[in-house]
Amino acid sequence: MEVSGLDEAGEVDDAAAVERARGGDLDAYDVLVARWTAPAHRFAVLLGAGAEADDVVQEAFVKAYRQLARYRGDSGFRPWLFSIVANEARNLHRSRKRRDGLVLRAAAKEDPAPTDADPADHVLATERRQRLVDGIRLLDSREREVLVCRYFLELSEAETADTLGVPKGTVKSRTSRALTRLRSLLAVEEVPGA
Amino acid sequence: MPDDDPLIAELRALDAWLDVPPAADQRAAVRARLAPRRRARWIVAGLAALVGAVGVVAPARAAVVEAVGDVLRVVGIEVRQDRTPGALPATPSPLPGVRIARLDEAKRAALFPVRVPAALGVPDEVKLADPDPAGAPRVVTMTFRGGAVRLDQFDGTISPMFLKASGGSAEWTDVKGEAAIWVAGPHSVRYVDRQGSERTETGRLAAPTLIWSGGVVTYRLEGLATLAEARAAASDLR
Repeated sequence: MEVSGLDEAGEVDDAAAVERARGGDLDAYDVLVARWTAPAHRFAVLLGAGAEADDVVQEAFVKAYRQLARYRGDSGFRPWLFSIVANEARNLHRSRKRRDGLVLRAAAKEDPAPTDADPADHVLATERRQRLVDGIRLLDSREREVLVCRYFLELSEAETADTLGVPKGTVKSRTSRALTRLRSLLAVEEVPGA
Repeated sequence: MPDDDPLIAELRALDAWLDVPPAADQRAAVRARLAPRRRARWIVAGLAALVGAVGVVAPARAAVVEAVGDVLRVVGIEVRQDRTPGALPATPSPLPGVRIARLDEAKRAALFPVRVPAALGVPDEVKLADPDPAGAPRVVTMTFRGGAVRLDQFDGTISPMFLKASGGSAEWTDVKGEAAIWVAGPHSVRYVDRQGSERTETGRLAAPTLIWSGGVVTYRLEGLATLAEARAAASDLR
């Protein structure tokens, strides 16, 4: 089990809450819902659920509760919940006709920490971020999922494997493939502007 | 795929630039979707024992369904999963201090309001059981229709008195909007008296039973064949 130090205290609480929730204690489950709604929602948004992220999260919590009997706690509540969120997000994609529903948008807001750097650099950085986001959007959803888990959520390979329901080796190869693909997408995009 | 890959560093840095709207609070919605389903599930799972908990029942009964461990509580009624079958003991032991009383006498002696289901008419017999030192009974039992129908009522404010039933299938229902449990099949019934001893009053399995709670009193109505009939009787206590 890979649990970062930061998570350790939380995971202990999660385990106790899961145990009580498993016995039907909805107050205990409330604690888990309160704790994990924001991270789960963020995950759903990053996976492209867009405006439906809240629905995805709610569905995931309901399903998670009903499947608590199957939860074994090997790797904590979060990867388990997130695996259900990922599944729900995938179902959403399948039921959608338009692919542009998968929105990953760079923040419109200004640089949170403006520096004295050259404004030209700032523009370049903004453009670069936009290209990255566009590139991620063009990835296959399975490739996007691993990048989201590994680099946006900072999950370990093992946690990513649990979350996506694939072997650790698959996480490794898929991540590598996604990075290669993203790199080539960025290279192509850069050509017209070069 | 080394971690010092500049693209990975870029991705990690990008995270702060992604526009993620605030999440909606899901607690109420999730709970609302889970509570009724959960109740149904308990029953489907095969309820084995019912415990009419008469212990801590607050006067202000928020009609909430609460479940802790393998015990489900609804306003003073506890439902417990029991692995052991509801076997009957070889020798039944009656409730302590049982005495026959008149209805008006029962109403005076009990510390809780004693009521009669209007649908069942005048009770054939009224019994008081398990009295406190001052003589106030914990349980008032009435029989109707030549003994075929039995109503137990007991004070929900004194502790700890239990009624246990094992076996049979049960389902949630309600009596005037308050949660109630209907045990359709035969089941054994045991009382836990003031001293904590379990007593099985009769050597037979109980007939269909409705258990519910009204005001400070918990009721157990046995012997009406259908839920509709039992609910109707339970809804009109006088």
